[in-house]
Amino acid sequence: MILEALAEFLTLSELGGVIVNGLAKSALYVMIASGLTLIFGLMGVLNFAHGSLTMVGAYLGGLLMVVTVTSGTAPLTRLGLFFVAIVVVFALLTVLGGAIETTIIRPLYDRPPIYQILLTFGLTLVIEELVRIVLGIYDLQPLSDWQAALATKPQFLREPVSLGPVSAGWMSLFQILLGTITVVGIWAFLTKTRYGLYIRAGSEDTEMASALGIDVRQVFTVVFALGIGLAGAAGTLLMWDPTWGASVPLAAETLLPAFIVVIVGGLGTFRGTVVAALVVGMADAVTTWWFQNAIQFTGLPELVLFLVLVVTLIVRPQGLFGVEEVGGH
Amino acid sequence: MSLLELSGVHTYYGDSHILEGVDLAVEEGEVVALAGRNGVGKTTTLRTILQLTPPREGSITFRDESLVGLETHEVAARGLGWIPEDRRIFGQLTVEENLRAAIPDPDDVSDGLRLAFDSFPILEERRGQDAGTLSGGQQQMLAIARGLVGDNDLLLVDEPSEGLAPQIVADVAEALSTASEDVTMLLVEQNLPLALDLADRFYIIDKGRVVDDGDTAAVTADDERFRRYLSA
Repeated sequence: MILEALAEFLTLSELGGVIVNGLAKSALYVMIASGLTLIFGLMGVLNFAHGSLTMVGAYLGGLLMVVTVTSGTAPLTRLGLFFVAIVVVFALLTVLGGAIETTIIRPLYDRPPIYQILLTFGLTLVIEELVRIVLGIYDLQPLSDWQAALATKPQFLREPVSLGPVSAGWMSLFQILLGTITVVGIWAFLTKTRYGLYIRAGSEDTEMASALGIDVRQVFTVVFALGIGLAGAAGTLLMWDPTWGASVPLAAETLLPAFIVVIVGGLGTFRGTVVAALVVGMADAVTTWWFQNAIQFTGLPELVLFLVLVVTLIVRPQGLFGVEEVGGH
Repeated sequence: MSLLELSGVHTYYGDSHILEGVDLAVEEGEVVALAGRNGVGKTTTLRTILQLTPPREGSITFRDESLVGLETHEVAARGLGWIPEDRRIFGQLTVEENLRAAIPDPDDVSDGLRLAFDSFPILEERRGQDAGTLSGGQQQMLAIARGLVGDNDLLLVDEPSEGLAPQIVADVAEALSTASEDVTMLLVEQNLPLALDLADRFYIIDKGRVVDDGDTAAVTADDERFRRYLSA
């Protein structure tokens, strides 16, 4: 039976489908985790509120889509509005992130890391409660996905597409596209801009960077703000994915894989996060196929994330591309 | 008016009193050596000037403007550069990126890179290489080049020859000597012959205080004044 399954798995159509599915999962993971890794890489701040801000991004993105899309809105218009929503949510969350950093994170830089962890964890509770209150006012169910937001997705993104012998979903290709744009955008920002150079210098040695005239505190604010903006953009994308959706539990559902990807990649390295997202996404897709097609048990695929984490921590505790210390301010 | 002036500077690390009233002055265009045994406060003096370890008492002025209370990047923006004793290069950045990070005005990048590569040609060969993979001597060259390319009026140079092979020490000395024609320096250096060769004046610091000073032209490395304070 296993041999039959293996033969089926290795056919071009199945293997191709698994690869596309794995890349789509990787794209989501990299979007969820990239903000977290930027913030930890430069500032050494473990932002436990990251998942909550992803959830806020999902609701904000959903709100923009629900308000602007009607049943008569054409599919390509819906797609255009979605891109506008992502930009608007990114901008709003970036401003919110900057405000959070300057008002409540900055005073804690000289304190032990436990202060930042407790603060951001507390922030999570506050954000989730605020979202519940707002949802209650509008009579929305906080624990289940916001169906009205999901319904703004154009019909063609729900349909499969043939890539030669491989059948994949348009939504998967869309997620891969956005994940790729995110990775290329962050990479170009970090490596091709002067500010990116300051971020990388500051993430290695904040004291030396300051002595070169770099305003590291301002860099901290910008990085934190961008990290939160990315969380919001990721949330907007997840709002259209039926396996995630806009709901209050999305905060916890995204925080865990985000931390796993960041830890597997090596705390604070963007390159590591991208590679780890690929590893985790592919492992997730492969095991999902096997559990669904050969073993007929759907409960275990999520465990593969933790398996990858455990194996990485045993074999290479600092992660795939990790360094011994980050955020040395 | 001195370019840099420290008066009654007291600096602490926690409860440890490191600088106990340092007074010194650096005039425009000169190289001033700060000599003393390990642990007497030479590096702390440089860190205090940069406000990396701010003083609890005393005044520090640069071009008659107080530096006390400024952020380190604000001190750097006023034209003070730092070449730290442990190099502190950005190991995950390339050689060129290390240099670019030190050049405040993007319009000055090509001139700055030219200056660095003319001073240390090996850096041009390694410009695309991660700085962390350079040899110790090359890392020191990069640290010095990074100090030279900044738009600095005063360079605080900490132990530039420490741990280097004699030939590399000679290269470093030549680069600092050339640079001293354009920039004022406060130089911490255990290699006394090198320090006296580069410097116009010297201060000797002991137990957190300046205990002697003078012109380097009037002394040699085996002078009684140095033997008293620098011998172990």
